[in-house]
Amino acid sequence: MNRTRISARWRQQITSWLIMLPGIALFAFFLWGPLLQSVRMSLYRTRNIELVNFVWFDNYISVFKREEFHQALLNTFSYTFWSLLLGFFIPIFMALVIGETVRGKGFIRTAAYIPNILPGLAAVILWTAFFSAERTGVINILLGKLGIERMAFLSEASLVIPIIVITATWKGAGATALIYMAGLAGINPELYEAATIDGAGIWRRIRHITLPAIFSLGSTMLILQIISIFQIMYEPLVLTKGGPDNASLSLMLLMWRYAFGGTMDFGRASAVAVIISVILLAFTVLYSIVNRRKTDWE
Amino acid sequence: MKQEEYSLPPRTGVIRDFDGYTVGVKVGMAFIYIACALIVIVSLFPIIWVMLAGFKDLREYMSSTAIIPNAFDFSRYTKTWTQLSVTQNYLNSLYVIIGCVLCALIFNGLLAYGLAILKPKGHKIVNSLVMVSLLIPATISLVPLFMNIQNFKLGGFFTPLWLAAGANAFFVILFRQFFQSLPSSIIEAGRIDGCSQLQTFYKIVLPLSKPICVVVTIFAINGAWSDFLLPYLVLGGSKWQTVMVRLFIFSTQQTINYDDLMRAVVFSMIPPIIIFFIFQKKLTENIVTVGIKG
Repeated sequence: MNRTRISARWRQQITSWLIMLPGIALFAFFLWGPLLQSVRMSLYRTRNIELVNFVWFDNYISVFKREEFHQALLNTFSYTFWSLLLGFFIPIFMALVIGETVRGKGFIRTAAYIPNILPGLAAVILWTAFFSAERTGVINILLGKLGIERMAFLSEASLVIPIIVITATWKGAGATALIYMAGLAGINPELYEAATIDGAGIWRRIRHITLPAIFSLGSTMLILQIISIFQIMYEPLVLTKGGPDNASLSLMLLMWRYAFGGTMDFGRASAVAVIISVILLAFTVLYSIVNRRKTDWE
Repeated sequence: MKQEEYSLPPRTGVIRDFDGYTVGVKVGMAFIYIACALIVIVSLFPIIWVMLAGFKDLREYMSSTAIIPNAFDFSRYTKTWTQLSVTQNYLNSLYVIIGCVLCALIFNGLLAYGLAILKPKGHKIVNSLVMVSLLIPATISLVPLFMNIQNFKLGGFFTPLWLAAGANAFFVILFRQFFQSLPSSIIEAGRIDGCSQLQTFYKIVLPLSKPICVVVTIFAINGAWSDFLLPYLVLGGSKWQTVMVRLFIFSTQQTINYDDLMRAVVFSMIPPIIIFFIFQKKLTENIVTVGIKG
């Protein structure tokens, strides 16, 4: 009796694992395995898709010595700065403003969300047409109407990163705003009433009720934003190919360039991948600390 | 005058009905609607512009600064469509989507079922590994993944793309959160009635999980349609290229006709827009409830 119960429980455990096995196998093949392989490969000299010999940290040293790596690292922080300036505050502003509307809220929300459903590649190509240096580039046409000389935006080293961040913000802001709006909708309406009875005007209600509600979400969103901006790759790849003169080269794009940009230098590419992973891991730890305090994922 | 005010729906933001209609409130509301008009214009104008630009031929595209094309000539769209053989690419994308949706639902669903309901000993390890994958993007390990695909001779066909959709941390977490919210009494009842674990899944859990399956399906469709980096590495140059792969290769060519490129962009945008309008309500609602964007 006792024995059959134990074996039944074991059988259950085994079937449970068998049910999960296909999923685990796919995760191992597509995500976990390659991540570990990146670490291993970064320690090898590679030829095409073969590992030639173990070279310790040679790939890292040679990457660290390269001018383009310094540039890419610096650029990535510049991307982060601009995306915090634009990509963080614009959705908050959008959520606040759209939340106040009485009529047409559904339409405005839908319109703001639409860029998010477009394929990223299509959106980026669309923006190359907007920022084209030609007379027919849309931004140049608009600036021309204001009497401003036409510019070659994407060959301007100081402008490329803000422009790329603007295009990314255009695509993502509506979806982020929607999350903030959900947070704002969760505010108890009695809070506003009580504050008004206590004599708080509109501004004081914004400052003491609305903004705190936003910032409690904001800390999580901020870290997610940083994590996502560290992955920026295909935007500069398509818009500028990392140029002019590496001015928009991101770490991820550098990885892509080493691996698939003609040289097939997979060892060095893996070294860059590991460096990005370490930076992201640091942010992930930060994220989980903030997240554990704020919400309950488990 | 009063009548009109009462017919308005109630205010739900910071400004409430009890703030009345003072000058300050009116100016504020005016500012809010101007800002919203700007949001709508900035969001929609580029999309409308590219659709209009698609009606221009190369000469008009390169010379005219007018936004409205000279003529609405659909034959230009059809010409580019046949020239780039978009029909085949659309079909390929459709194959990718069907396989990806199936894999996403089955494999992620089963894994989440194990993590949320079966919870065998040690499931927490898998759980935290999935969480790590959520935060470290798949793109980082693109290089070794590409090598593995080459080593296993999986390149040149859809299989790796389909299976990759079965390893999506975001989907697993969506499923897991939903399964956890199911009343455990129902699942317990199934067990007492003698359902095996797998039977419990497709007889009890799955029928209750339609809402989350719809969400995952929409995200999987959109992801499968939009992704181009892995598809480019897997399918590039073969006859199975998807719309996005085709667009990527087309956009990196040395000599391109920009009018054709704009039409290709339009072709790649139409299906997601259609899907969005079919599922619009479900999508925006669920983003609000789930609180994560896809």
